[in-house]
Amino acid sequence: MAMELNEQLIAELVRKTLKEVMGSANTPVDAAPRGGESKNHLKVEDYPVASKRPELLKTPTGKALEDVNLDNLMSGKVGFEDLRITPEALEYQAQIAEAAGKAQVAMNLRRSAELIKVPDKKLLEIYNALRPRRSTKQELLDIADELESQYNAVVNAKMIREAADVYERRGLLKSA
Amino acid sequence: MVEKKRSKRFQTLEDRPVHKDGFIGEWIETGLIAMGSPNDPKPSVKVSGGKIVEMDGKRREDFDMIDQFIADYAIDVSITEEAMSKSDVELARMLVDINTPAEEVRKIFGGLTPAKLAAVVDKLNIVEIMMAMQKMRVRQTPKNQAHVTSATDNPVMLACDAAEAAYRGFAEIETTVAVFKYGPLNALSLLVGSQVGRPGVLTQDALEESFELEIGMRGLTAYAETVSVYGTEGVFVDGDDTPWSKAFLASCYASRGIKMRFTSGTGSEVQMGAAEGKSMLYLEARCILITKGAGVQGLQNGSISVIGVPGAVPSGLRAVAAENLLTMAMGMEVASGNDQTFSHSDLRRTARTIPQLFPGTDLIFSGYSAVPNCDNMFAGSNWDIEDIDDYLALQRDFKVDGGVRPVLEEDVIAVRNKAARALQAVYEELGFPPITDEEVEAATYANTSKDVPPRNIPEDVKAADRIMKEGITGVDVIKALVKRGYRDVAEAILMMMKQRISGDYLQTSAWIDESGYVWSAINDPNTYQGPMTGYQMSPERWEEIKDVPWAIRAEDV
Repeated sequence: MAMELNEQLIAELVRKTLKEVMGSANTPVDAAPRGGESKNHLKVEDYPVASKRPELLKTPTGKALEDVNLDNLMSGKVGFEDLRITPEALEYQAQIAEAAGKAQVAMNLRRSAELIKVPDKKLLEIYNALRPRRSTKQELLDIADELESQYNAVVNAKMIREAADVYERRGLLKSA
Repeated sequence: MVEKKRSKRFQTLEDRPVHKDGFIGEWIETGLIAMGSPNDPKPSVKVSGGKIVEMDGKRREDFDMIDQFIADYAIDVSITEEAMSKSDVELARMLVDINTPAEEVRKIFGGLTPAKLAAVVDKLNIVEIMMAMQKMRVRQTPKNQAHVTSATDNPVMLACDAAEAAYRGFAEIETTVAVFKYGPLNALSLLVGSQVGRPGVLTQDALEESFELEIGMRGLTAYAETVSVYGTEGVFVDGDDTPWSKAFLASCYASRGIKMRFTSGTGSEVQMGAAEGKSMLYLEARCILITKGAGVQGLQNGSISVIGVPGAVPSGLRAVAAENLLTMAMGMEVASGNDQTFSHSDLRRTARTIPQLFPGTDLIFSGYSAVPNCDNMFAGSNWDIEDIDDYLALQRDFKVDGGVRPVLEEDVIAVRNKAARALQAVYEELGFPPITDEEVEAATYANTSKDVPPRNIPEDVKAADRIMKEGITGVDVIKALVKRGYRDVAEAILMMMKQRISGDYLQTSAWIDESGYVWSAINDPNTYQGPMTGYQMSPERWEEIKDVPWAIRAEDV
C-alpha cells in the first residue's frame, strides 16, 4: 500500500513539474488549430467567411472559391465534388462559434470535421447502430475503434464509447 | 320528462366555432398540465470534481440518459452553482430587464437545470414573455418560414407555389409529400421554384431522417429540421433514438455542409403516453437542453404538431410562448411553431400567433402555409395562404415585421410562370415525364392543385426513383437550366450549393439574402436594450409593409 502511494506521489510531482515547465515556456498544449495546417484563428469579424475571408477557403479538390462559377462548372473544371465542405472550413466556423460564446456549436462543428472523410453509407450505418437496442456494447466499441483508427475521429469515438456505457446502464443495448 | 328550458344566448354561444375546439381540465397524472406540475422535480444542482453529480433532486447514478446528456453537455459547470443559487423571480426579472444585456442573461442561464428553467419562466406573464422574447431572440431581424405542399404532389404546382412563397418574402420553405415516393421530385420542384422566386431561399423536404440527409447531400435541399427530440427517456426510445444518436446525426449534417435544427414541443410526451406526470414545459426544457448539448444551432418548437394538447389545457398557449423563449435564452435559433391547425375559431388562431408575431422570432412560423388549406400535407397550418392579406394587414396595423411583403397579382403570375417553365425545361433535359404547356398555363393561374391537370403518377414515381438511383444532384439541375437558357436560376442554385464550401450558414439562425450573403446571430445579433434599440424597421421596409395594393391612396381620391 505504502509503495503504491509513493508511486502516486511521484507521478503527481512529475506531472506538476512538467506543467510548470510547459507553462513557463509558454507553449500552450493543443494550440494548433485542428483539422488544418492554417495558423489563422478566426473571430466574429471574419464572418461570413465567404465574404470577409474568401482567400482562406478551398474546395475539397483544392480550388479557390472564386473558381467555383457557372462557366467552370459547365466546362467540367469544377464539379459536384467541389461543392462540399472541408475540415478547415468547419474549423474556421468552430472558431467563430467559440468567439461568439457558442461552445457546444463549436464542439459539434469539430465533431463534424472529423466525419467528412467517413463515407455517406458508413455514416448512416453508424447512426442506425446508435439507435436504441440496435447494438451490443462490443459492437459500439468496435465502431468507436474503427472511427478512431481509420478516420482519426477521436472525439466521435469518445462519444460513442460514452454512449455504450450509458446504454448499458439504462438497458438500451441489443440483448445478445 | 320536462325538457330543461334553454337560454337562447347560451344556445347561440354553443354554435360558435370555439365550441368545436377541445378543452380539458388539468390532469396531473397523465401530464396534462402546461406548467408547474406538482410532480416536476425541485430544482437543484451539485458539482464535484468538475462534474454535475446531482441535478433536479436526482443523484448522478440515478440519471436517466437525458439527465446525463444534459448534465455533461448542456449545462455550464463553471457557473451552475452560482446561477442556481439565484431565486426564480430574480432570474425571471433578468429576462425582461432592459438594463441587463441578453449576453449577460445567457451566461447565467447557461448554468440552469431544466426544472429551474421551467420554474423561472413560470414567473412571467404572457406580456413579460413577449418582452423577453424581443430581447432574447438571437438574430435581430425576424424572418418567416412557409409550408409548400400539394395534395396531389403536383410538381408544377409545387414549383409555382415555392416561387410565389419565396417572392412573398419567406426565408425558408418546407415541403413534404402526399405519396412517400414523390419525395425527391418535391425537393426538385422546391429548389427550382424557390430560386426563381427569390435567390437565397432555403428549402427542405421533411420525410424521414436518412432520406433527408441523402437528399441534402445531393444539393437538392439546403436544410433539415424534422429531427425530433423528446423530454422523457421512454418517449425518446419509442421515437427510436437517443441523445447520442441524434447528436451524431447532427454532426453528420454539418459534415456535409447542411444546415439543420432539431424539433420538439410541449405535449408530445403526453400524446405518446409517457409524460411521467411532469408538466409539458418542464419536459420541453429538457428537449431544449438536449438540443443545446448536441451543439445544434436551433430548434423548431412551440408545440408544433401536438398544439392541440397544450391548446386544450389552462395556460397552454402561454407555455408554448415560454418554450420559444427558453430556446432563445439558451442562445439558439427558434422556428416558433404556429404551423398546425389547432382551433376552429379565427379569434383563437390569431391570438395564438401574437406572442411570436409581435416581439418577432427567428422564424415566426415553421411554417406558414403558403398553399391553400386543402393542399397542406402537414395536416394544415395555423395560417394559410387564404389568410395572407389578413396577415399583411396585421403587419401594417401594428407596424410589425412578420417577414412577408405585399405583392402584385401580375408579378406573382410572372414568377409562377417562370418557375413552371424552368421546371418544364429541367424535366425535359433529365428525360422525366414531360410537363405540357397546358400544365404550365394552369399552374401559373391556379389556386389549388385541383386547378391543374392530373399527372401520370406511376411515371412520375419512376422519375423520382431515377433521381435516387442515378445519383442526380443539384449540379445536374444547374446544367439543365443553363442549357435551356435559365442562366439566372442556375446561378442561384449554384450559389446555394456553394454555401456548403464555407459553411457560413451553419452558424446560429442563418438565412441567405438575394446576393448570397449570409446573415445570422453572428453578424446580426440582437442588441435590444429598450425603446429605440434592437430591430428598427428600415424606412424602405416600412414603405413596403404600408403599401398593401388594396388600400385607397390619398393621391387617387
